[in-house]
Amino acid sequence: MAAETLFAGPSTAAGLDDQVLAVPESRPPLPWWLAFACAASLAGLGLACMAYTVYTGIGAWGNNRPVVWAFDIINFVFWIGIGHAGTLISAILLMFRARWRNAISRFAEAMTIFAVMVAGMFPLIHLGRPWVNFWLFPYPNQRGLWPNFRSPLMWDVFAVSTYFSVSLLFWYLGLIPDIASMRDRARGWRRNLYTVLSLGWRGAASHWLHYEKAYTLLAGLATGLVLSVHSVVSFDFAVSLVPGWHMTIFPPYFVVGAIFSGFAMVVLGLVVVRSTMGMGNIVTDRHLDLANKVVLGTSCLMGYSYLLEGFTAWYSMNPYIHHTFGNYVHGTYGWAGWVAVICNVLVPQLYWSNRARNSLPVMVGVSLSALAGMWFERFVIIVISLHQDYLPSSWGLYKPTPVDFGILLGSFGMFFSMVLLFARVLPVVATTELKASLPGSQPRRGPPYGLRPPPPARPESEPGQPRRAVRPEDRHG
Amino acid sequence: MGERVFAVLGVFAGPDALLDAASKLEGRGVGKLEAYTPYPVHGLGEALALRRSPLAGMVMVMGTLGTAAAFLFQWWMNAYDYPIVVGGKPLASWQAFVPIMFEVTVLFSAFTAWLGAVFLLCRLPGLWHPMLSSSSMPKLTRDRFALSIESQGRDFDAEATREALRDAGALETEVVRFPPAPKPASLTLLLGLAGAGALACVVAGLATYWTIKVFPTLPPMSRMLQQPRLGAQRSSSVFAGSAGFAPVAEGTVARGRLPYPFKTPEEAAVLGNPLPRTKAVLAEGKRRFDTVCRVCHGPLADGKGTLTKAYGASPADLRTRRYQAFPDGSVYHAIMSGKNAMPSFAKALTEDERWSIIHYLRALQRAADAKDSDLP
Amino acid sequence: MTLRVLAIVGALGCADSLIIDPARFWANWLVWTLMLVSAGLGSLFLVSLEHLTGARWSIPLRRTAERVASLLIPGSLAMLAALIGIPVLFPWAQPGWPEDPLQAGKTAWLNVPFFTARAAACAALWIGSWKVLAGGSLELDRTRDPRLHLRLQRFSPFFIAVFALTVTVTAFDWVSSLSPEWYSDVLGVYLFAGVFLSGLSAVSLAAVSLKKEGRLQGVRFDHLYNLGGFLFAFVVFWSYIAFAQYMLMWYAHMPEEIFWYKDRVEGAWGAATLGLALVHFVIPFFALVTRGSKGDPRRLAWVSGLVLVSHYADLCWLVFPSLGLAPRFSWPEAAAGLLFVSVGLLWVRRATAQGDDLPVGDPALEEGLAFRL
Repeated sequence: MAAETLFAGPSTAAGLDDQVLAVPESRPPLPWWLAFACAASLAGLGLACMAYTVYTGIGAWGNNRPVVWAFDIINFVFWIGIGHAGTLISAILLMFRARWRNAISRFAEAMTIFAVMVAGMFPLIHLGRPWVNFWLFPYPNQRGLWPNFRSPLMWDVFAVSTYFSVSLLFWYLGLIPDIASMRDRARGWRRNLYTVLSLGWRGAASHWLHYEKAYTLLAGLATGLVLSVHSVVSFDFAVSLVPGWHMTIFPPYFVVGAIFSGFAMVVLGLVVVRSTMGMGNIVTDRHLDLANKVVLGTSCLMGYSYLLEGFTAWYSMNPYIHHTFGNYVHGTYGWAGWVAVICNVLVPQLYWSNRARNSLPVMVGVSLSALAGMWFERFVIIVISLHQDYLPSSWGLYKPTPVDFGILLGSFGMFFSMVLLFARVLPVVATTELKASLPGSQPRRGPPYGLRPPPPARPESEPGQPRRAVRPEDRHG
Repeated sequence: MGERVFAVLGVFAGPDALLDAASKLEGRGVGKLEAYTPYPVHGLGEALALRRSPLAGMVMVMGTLGTAAAFLFQWWMNAYDYPIVVGGKPLASWQAFVPIMFEVTVLFSAFTAWLGAVFLLCRLPGLWHPMLSSSSMPKLTRDRFALSIESQGRDFDAEATREALRDAGALETEVVRFPPAPKPASLTLLLGLAGAGALACVVAGLATYWTIKVFPTLPPMSRMLQQPRLGAQRSSSVFAGSAGFAPVAEGTVARGRLPYPFKTPEEAAVLGNPLPRTKAVLAEGKRRFDTVCRVCHGPLADGKGTLTKAYGASPADLRTRRYQAFPDGSVYHAIMSGKNAMPSFAKALTEDERWSIIHYLRALQRAADAKDSDLP
Repeated sequence: MTLRVLAIVGALGCADSLIIDPARFWANWLVWTLMLVSAGLGSLFLVSLEHLTGARWSIPLRRTAERVASLLIPGSLAMLAALIGIPVLFPWAQPGWPEDPLQAGKTAWLNVPFFTARAAACAALWIGSWKVLAGGSLELDRTRDPRLHLRLQRFSPFFIAVFALTVTVTAFDWVSSLSPEWYSDVLGVYLFAGVFLSGLSAVSLAAVSLKKEGRLQGVRFDHLYNLGGFLFAFVVFWSYIAFAQYMLMWYAHMPEEIFWYKDRVEGAWGAATLGLALVHFVIPFFALVTRGSKGDPRRLAWVSGLVLVSHYADLCWLVFPSLGLAPRFSWPEAAAGLLFVSVGLLWVRRATAQGDDLPVGDPALEEGLAFRL
């Protein structure tokens, strides 16, 4: 496969609209219904298990002392991690002006939002009494109590809700012009719906000015945010004294792991979108190749983190830490540690080969392996560290119940149901952004895109310097 | 067709033609220029002499406010209003406040960027904007570009403006009019709206009542109220009357719980202070006095405690001659049985603590009008 | 000429301080060694990042970065010389260590032969990588052989692996083991942030001063803007890592970790820590936060200078308290600074005399010059 062209789609803006916006305008085909039925029934299973948990109590799960955190927090960390690729692609790659983000950013952002929604449910049901979840928020109450802001669990509340809100704002801002395009193609009630959703966007030049500024600002903010969210999640563990949890490398290491698993999920999603929705000309092999390179890079960083964790554990000369790290690779759950290392570090090394990066079966396999590996990594961190710590008299084993597995499967069902719905209701590709980067879409003249240098402008202007569209004398004349 | 003219629109095929026309017409005084494009066109803002977006400054200000707000509310809640020590950390531990300060900064900034751009600066939503009913709109969100010259009053000459746009290279032109004004609402509609509003209020009220009063009593919410306890009390077959313990023998006195037979301060005056007057005893007396007596009698036993006002009672100034002359036993009786509004403190203090308080009280009385000879 | 005189003056001062207070001399030597290595290694990292990602904007700046990276040679030599100071600098090399039998296992890692071998391996890898990347680039100018360009691109991932491991080893060996009981696994990343920051600042300073001499034709606002953007991003990244490490240790408050911070947060070093936060984060952050400021040559130059100074302060903050030294800047520090700064400037100046100012052999140079934001 040729992995050279970044874009092979329609060469005109109209053609782009006709290809991308036609999808939500048409009726879904049978395979979509089948896929949606599968995902929705899994989601239903998950919801039933959650309802059972809420009605019965947390005793429905396998959690008990000493393993008081298990599947629920593993799933939470896992899904929050999946939710990192979207913002990374949208925000960081926008900041670094990597043009390849345009074609995949919308889809990745949507995945972020759904993943964070799924993730947010887990702390909620783990509360045991989810109907009083508002106690987590600082509001003046008749008990005269305030939450404890020195607790990392409080930081989580703020980090995850901020992340969700900001991702949603960012995603919606990008969608507004696309929805306006859909509005102008639609009739009847759909037109009214899209008019409201697009907020009556009309593409005025004076609006684009603020719109672009807001988009860049949100990207910058989201860049910081994406680093902070998984760091805060890692603080849940790292501020404690549990051997294996108290590691200073946890914040960057969690962020890297999140990006790794997030990109793996994005690659999986893109493979499906390409092959079922005929988007192969827009999401090209080159995109997958680049995304796979990110997977490879983050996998190597994971390897670095594992190496360093192991070394520091030894170097600390702390017998408790030695014991815990021994448990990671042998002992009751030692196999999970090996699954994590093999799936996260060894399998993605296949991507050093060009052919592997561009072969669909290999990338599906590696992505699945990365997802499994990252889930087991959280299992290792949470369950193995907790099941044996300082006091041998309080050691214990953990065994998940069917309800635990039901909720895990259900979380995948919910995620894919939402992704499938999104793929048929809204444009999966950011058409407006792609239009703006088509060849010939920008004026050949006029000042270069972006900022002008602060005055005095460019002392040594080159011969090829385009003339300014507006001369100062025009403006005041 | 008789509606007011909003603007005249000229449609162009490409961004270059649009920019050319814009720089041709800008500053000519033909009217307020605006362009409509399917995506942001670089350099258009300069060509139309639009001012740069002030959004970055707004975001900066609000972000800084967010940082400050987050620090202040965390400090106020955790170090001031509800100070509680957790994990041995200082009450105002800034290190632990930083993550939330960061998150709130981003939250404030992001909402400012979004709401500021969309609502404040673009003045959206504009669901009834005249441009939305323009017949060119579907082209403009697709692949065409338009320049509009907005009408600025009665003497706006639509035809001349059309001509100017055509001269500037417009492929086609359109006169965009304001949409017809909506009909005034009928009385039935208003009554209907009022009725719906009233109904919504009633439903909201009932829902609130249900949420507060009924919802918590349903399972599983009610489970917190009916928890079976492990090892609940059972009757014993060992002792008489199914009691769990052997009955206490007649006349038993619990350790440190000597019976107190006196009924009046005068009777109790026979008691003498059994404790020696040492530094340790006085220190213990001060400690217990400060814990138990101080809130009403004040730190100097002058009757000026913090609770005095709140209860409307006036505790005795214990430094007066009257109380100086009170025998130790009578003071002891006041602690045991209470005096006027003062309740009994027998349960709050052990016997030794009561006597040490009396030693300390004597010291306070003597300090009230100390002589030179009292100095060591 | 003046630089040579200054270098000699600095060397004399250093010799004097070695006789009077060896511990302080070796501490200064170590800090300045790490400064040279940081600037060189950070620049080389920028070069390999460009090869790895295929970035276009940094191509016109690549030769400058390669020249600054030649600081790795004096840096590596200074590091090898610092091996002489092991008995003075490191408690684990002194008799009677460890007092705590639990720590005895560490001697497998912390012993003079292995330590020397690691330092020598690092120095060899750095100089070798510099030879491949910078030498290959000069070679490319001469031959214009596309296969050579491909080889540089193929080499860069391996260099990045080498870079990650050697920076980590340097952090653990030359910084962390000054207090052998202490450990923090993020210290490698912490040092990496400082290394990349000082590389970026050195390249920015060199680029701005070369432009002032009328060289580096074609390097514009847009290129400098990206350098400024990276500088801004990594100022934030450094602060994030530094805060995370401090906060986690503060929170857990375990005796085997917190003593390291108590040395730095309490007493005379407390004010220095605050000052470090100010110069390493607050001032550069606000100086670079607006869009126009990132590419303004004057602003970029003074912020880069400030970042270099703050990296120096950071290294002092890492090294001095572990040796029980006070936060003082007096003549021994000044002498060491004089020696190393003038040697470094001489070295870079010598490098700027060789070859073209732009990597003329790079097939994508045109695209790099045409880069627009």
